[in-house]
Amino acid sequence: MKITRTIKYESDRVKGFCDEIMRIPGCDQLQACIQCGTCSGICPLSIYMDYTPRRVIALVRSDFKNEVLRSHTVWLCASCYACTVECPRQIRITDIMYGLKQRAIKEGIYPRNFPIPVLAKEFSKMVLRKGRITETLLVMRLFLKANWRAVLGSWRLGFGLMRTGRFVLRSERIERQSELRSMLTGKNGGNGGIPKEKS
Amino acid sequence: MNGTNHNGIRIGYYICHCGHNIAGVIDCGEVARRIGVLPGVVVSRDYKYMCSEPGQELLRQDIRAHDLNRIVVASCSPLLHEHTFRTAVEDAGLNPYHFQMVNIREHASWVHTDHAAATEKAVDLSRAAVMRVRHHRALTTTRVPINPAVLVVGGGIAGIHAALTLANAGKQVFLVEREPSIGGHMAKFDKTFPTLDCAACILTPKMSSVRAHKGITLWTYSEVAKVEGYVGNYTVTVRRRPRYVNEALCIGCQECISACVYREPKFPDEFNVGLGKRKPVYIPFPQAVPQVVVIDPDRCLELKTGRCKKTCVDACADRNAIDFTQKESLEQIQVGNIIVATGFRLFDAKRIPQYGYGMYPNVVTSLELERLVTSSGPTGGEIRLRDGSAPRSVGFILCVGSRDLKTNRWCSRTCCMHSMKLAQLVREHTGADVTVFYLDIRAPGKGCEEFYDRSLKEGIQFVRGRVAEVTDWALAPEEEGKLVIRVEDTLAGFVRRIPVDMIVLAVGMEPQSDAQSVRRLFNMSCGTEGWFLEKHPKLAPVSTFTDGVFIAGCCQGPKDIPDSIAQAGAAAAEAMALIDRGYIEQEPNTAHVLDDCCGCKSCIPLCPYTAISFDAGSQKAVINEALCKGCGTCAGSCPSGSITQNLFDDDEVFSEIEGLLHA
Repeated sequence: MKITRTIKYESDRVKGFCDEIMRIPGCDQLQACIQCGTCSGICPLSIYMDYTPRRVIALVRSDFKNEVLRSHTVWLCASCYACTVECPRQIRITDIMYGLKQRAIKEGIYPRNFPIPVLAKEFSKMVLRKGRITETLLVMRLFLKANWRAVLGSWRLGFGLMRTGRFVLRSERIERQSELRSMLTGKNGGNGGIPKEKS
Repeated sequence: MNGTNHNGIRIGYYICHCGHNIAGVIDCGEVARRIGVLPGVVVSRDYKYMCSEPGQELLRQDIRAHDLNRIVVASCSPLLHEHTFRTAVEDAGLNPYHFQMVNIREHASWVHTDHAAATEKAVDLSRAAVMRVRHHRALTTTRVPINPAVLVVGGGIAGIHAALTLANAGKQVFLVEREPSIGGHMAKFDKTFPTLDCAACILTPKMSSVRAHKGITLWTYSEVAKVEGYVGNYTVTVRRRPRYVNEALCIGCQECISACVYREPKFPDEFNVGLGKRKPVYIPFPQAVPQVVVIDPDRCLELKTGRCKKTCVDACADRNAIDFTQKESLEQIQVGNIIVATGFRLFDAKRIPQYGYGMYPNVVTSLELERLVTSSGPTGGEIRLRDGSAPRSVGFILCVGSRDLKTNRWCSRTCCMHSMKLAQLVREHTGADVTVFYLDIRAPGKGCEEFYDRSLKEGIQFVRGRVAEVTDWALAPEEEGKLVIRVEDTLAGFVRRIPVDMIVLAVGMEPQSDAQSVRRLFNMSCGTEGWFLEKHPKLAPVSTFTDGVFIAGCCQGPKDIPDSIAQAGAAAAEAMALIDRGYIEQEPNTAHVLDDCCGCKSCIPLCPYTAISFDAGSQKAVINEALCKGCGTCAGSCPSGSITQNLFDDDEVFSEIEGLLHA
């Protein structure tokens, strides 16, 4: 049995975190939360979460940045939008989850091998580079980065896909990629918004 | 049915199911069958709802069809439907007092779980009534005129509204207030929730109209000392404390205040809950009504020692309004109705020592903060810590002295909204971080939930959890020099220590400390908590068990300003209903003296209504029927048994007892 200190001091808060999150489009209604727990009740994945969506909102509102960003709640969110639909205060909880995911990736605090952040990163990387995603390649990358052993377990599925011609290894891309690149650079700056790896 | 030849007495017996209220426990059919065989009972029925129109029609038809001359209905409390059935019986041509009601709901079905025993009890009670009703005599009610004047006790917002409503309807009103000015708690508030309109701006016009209204006699600094009489004809004695200033002469110029030998205000100011200072001669607050100064006899040098230069008298000059010889006086008034609106007092935060009120100077009550926020307050509207600096963080602790079995178990209803209002004002005035510690946010009034929503969006932090303690013991560098609140943030799921500069305790409401003596004065009841008890929690919320005495505002229980006003209006309407009818119908349950009175006079001092006098000519006691309230004290105490009481004659009472004991 491991006994840890759970009390929170004022210095455990990162003042201004809530305001920063609220500035993300769609997250401005965060403070209107009445902590009713409808989001947690309706969420199909809340049963696996360390902090329920309601508690995530409570923590964001009180500027407990480290607790929120280290929680795996945001990475379990499947973006089904049930919470957003049901929320009596019309808070866009899914958008807040996205905002927190982005923030966690930006700050480099996220579970490295967890499939969801890996998928999110690989997905956006592929779109930004090629303008389009190639599902098979994306799945391969996901498997390799998150859990390569799972590839071995899925060989039967892979063969089936190959036999039916759905396992395409050719990378799909749009024409005139340079135009997409300049568009994105105009919007995001730098190298078109492709995130630099932070170790 | 066994109904013939009992000296012509023909009784109809009816037992009401009252839906499941009675029939769910008592076998009504069985009771009706067993009562039906008693001597004299001609008709015995059970019926679903006797009070319904078909139920009453059943009574009337049976009276005509079976030539009934006595009726017994076993149902609910006579308080609810005795009048209904008496009227029905009278409609069918009988004397209404040939009727007897049996309460088998409150006295049997609602209080027992054993069905068989409850049924047996219903039979016993019914048998007693059937045996008693045979002896009932035809009686007639008497009408007593009502004095149209009304006494309103308490000059807070409820009392003010009730007085103005009545006076605007042309009634004469006496408004008695204990403090030197009317206005009550509302006068001390800065803004009112949820609209944030200025409390003084909406209250002071009403206060001035009270002063100006010809129909209102305003007596401040006065208390009701004695109440005698009965509905329609109360005689009230009011004790008027000396303010050492002639109210008729003082014009409120306040020259005497500046001239007082005390150059600087020195004594704690009651109106500013001790945060400000005043002189021995003072006016409670700028908009006080009446605009008449008052001299505090415990502080004034002249009144204490008799050796003052009396510069105040010189300042008053020709007006000669200051009168050190004033004495307490007693005034007697005649009124028909009384409205009690004596309000509440705030919980003493010192009773919860872990919150540090009285120990840490920057722990204040919500009313103290209210005085700090308001521009007429001691700081001119600046929210300041005791050292004069502005707070950068403020914590509000809710439910202080509410929802706690160790102090007061009730919810004070207004503190959530009051605290959110103050929280918004604090943010507006100082820009400080505000955290509200709550158990539940209760914002049920119109516009109140919206106000909560607004508070959330304005960035006020809400932490759900009952604060365990307030301490100045710093455990971390950021806690140095601050007050630290230790609380479980039950929504975030961990214990927190939160340092703040100022702590506001949202103290709850309590009955006034003298509520018990006021209750006795007006012959009212109190609930277990000490709030004045209404006659019925839903159907008669402003009436009391004493006819002609009504309650309004927070003396009946915690409530906000709109609810107090609504009750005050309701109480005024109830009083007007009696006044405009013009008379009171008196129950003929009065006592009367028989011929064999020996003139011992022992009954005379016992009568609480002074209804008995001694007739020297006949050497017998005489009872004034208009004054007799039918309490039965004289009938019970007469040594020669020469006083009897209508509806409680010996044969009626003894037959009833016999019926109960008859198995």
